Amino acid sequence: MNPVSTIKAIPGHVSRTSVIARHAFTQLVRMKVFYFLAFFAVILIASNFFNLPQHEGPESAGVNILRSIKSWSLGAMTLFSVVLSIVATALLLPKDVEDRTLYTILAKPVPRLDYLAGKLLGVLLLVFVSLALMDILMVGILQLRTNMVLTDQMAMAEARGWPAADIALLKAEILAQGPTASLQGAVFSVFLRSSIIASMALLISTFSSSTLFTTIISFLIYFIGHFQADARAAYLSGEAGTSDGILARGVTLLVSLVLPDFQLFNVIDSVIEGQVMPLFIVGKLTLIGLFYAIFYILASWFIFAEKEF
Amino acid sequence: MTQGKKYGVLVLAILAAGGLRLPFERSLTNDLQAANLLPRKLEMRTGEKIGQTFSAVSLGGLRTLIATLLNLRAFSFFSEQKWVDVEDTFDVIVDLAPRTRYYWDTGSWHQAYNAASYYLYESEIPPLRRKLAWRESILKGQAFLERGIRNNPDDPKLYEGLGVLLSDSNKIAAFSSPNEAYEKSYEAFMAAVETGNARGYAKRAALYSLARVPGREMDALALANEIRKENPRLPPTVLGLLYTLNYHEDPAQDVLTLADSIFPNRKIAYEILGNQWMRTRDYFPVDGIARVMPLLEKELGVSEEDSVLKVKLLSPMNPDEGR
Repeated sequence: MNPVSTIKAIPGHVSRTSVIARHAFTQLVRMKVFYFLAFFAVILIASNFFNLPQHEGPESAGVNILRSIKSWSLGAMTLFSVVLSIVATALLLPKDVEDRTLYTILAKPVPRLDYLAGKLLGVLLLVFVSLALMDILMVGILQLRTNMVLTDQMAMAEARGWPAADIALLKAEILAQGPTASLQGAVFSVFLRSSIIASMALLISTFSSSTLFTTIISFLIYFIGHFQADARAAYLSGEAGTSDGILARGVTLLVSLVLPDFQLFNVIDSVIEGQVMPLFIVGKLTLIGLFYAIFYILASWFIFAEKEF
Repeated sequence: MTQGKKYGVLVLAILAAGGLRLPFERSLTNDLQAANLLPRKLEMRTGEKIGQTFSAVSLGGLRTLIATLLNLRAFSFFSEQKWVDVEDTFDVIVDLAPRTRYYWDTGSWHQAYNAASYYLYESEIPPLRRKLAWRESILKGQAFLERGIRNNPDDPKLYEGLGVLLSDSNKIAAFSSPNEAYEKSYEAFMAAVETGNARGYAKRAALYSLARVPGREMDALALANEIRKENPRLPPTVLGLLYTLNYHEDPAQDVLTLADSIFPNRKIAYEILGNQWMRTRDYFPVDGIARVMPLLEKELGVSEEDSVLKVKLLSPMNPDEGR
């Protein structure tokens, strides 16, 4: 195929992929996954009541509740996005086979890469929309609560005759616990991690025999992936003087090369604790997320391309 | 291509992609560590204490959530006055969320203040054990705050908390050497000032501690003068210390002239210095007060019987008193 015809073919790929993505999204929405949002709202409201006034001094009253709201919200987002990414992706191919939709699609001139990319994008769109809705809810509640804490604390500081500089410090400290750009960076890292998990589950589902197998293996890889950084560090710092050392280095190298490093995306705890997430880190995380997603989708296509149904 | 060959190629591709991303991931890990964004490794005992489920969940970026849940559990232990459980729970909490000041602050407060008071007033414990438990709790609270500072060296409030604890007149008897405690308290307050985010009182608090260390009077005077330069409207304690520290430097000077150079008027000088004289539990220096008081009392018409110098003073703090 010459370059001109390749460029001409791109809109066709994009439109086919987006049609399949929309269909996958609708298919998943019909599975009533958004009911989770009601559950999330309950968690969010409940997290507002975990205030322990006897447990904190007047100068930090209410600030801990802001941390509690963020912990509960981001925790729920993480769990929801991981479970949804794995289960929804694991379900997609077997469901299409079961409904015989797959045969109808593949009988048409639809490249299998477009089909896989469309399916994955459908899942990612669902995860993105869900996270965005949860994020809006979290930011709304957090903003309201931050304003309340700020009003109370400012009144306390003024009543005690605090100097203006001390009041400004207190204000900055409270605002740092409210909705910040770093918090949005943390939510985005949750989405990036979900994208990797979903694309990895897609690869597994192309050769797996059942949904259950895909789900279990994906969860296992997800958990083991949190130790990849340790394996990499052990490999890079290890000594290979003994036969045990050589074996250990071999295993750690294998783990480092095969498994994704999910620990990289574990920034939410630090952000909840008040650390700032620089923009270049968001950029680098996006790059590595894209690398994984593109690699896994191409690998899935490689296995799926000539698969007989 | 056969199925077997395909899987072979896939495995090779995965390994090659792994080799490609490895240096990038390593550099990103370093960036994340530099920005304090990567969670630290959990200690073995934390994993054992929180159980397998929590350990697994904590891997996935839910450590702060578990810390929040454990904080609720610690509150129950606190309500039931189970101090060992409170201590254990906070040990786990701070391992999960080492950068949250609140947990260090609260964990230390429970040990140094709540548990200490509980042991002091617990009639079922023999008196000697009671005093020992009181002391141990305060020292545990101090050690916990010091651990918090090592984990958060830029946090001024943890330094301030340590400074307050080490100079607390109700706790000073717990420390083997009060002078050393005041010296450490001064260092803690000054460390808070050096972070650049300390509240205005931190420097004054550093002065209050330093002034109580025998042999550091000159340094304390220099600090007091610095504070005076920065803020002409000074609280009574600083004025009182300015008097006693200046007197300590030159005991031969005229005390009324000295008092006039520090206090707005002699009535205020009498009130402030009288209070400082009676605050024996705070260990503030009283140099020159006994000399100036009779002169001020004479001028203000205070009879000899009502003299501040004749008031029966409390002995310095000991945990058996005041009950």
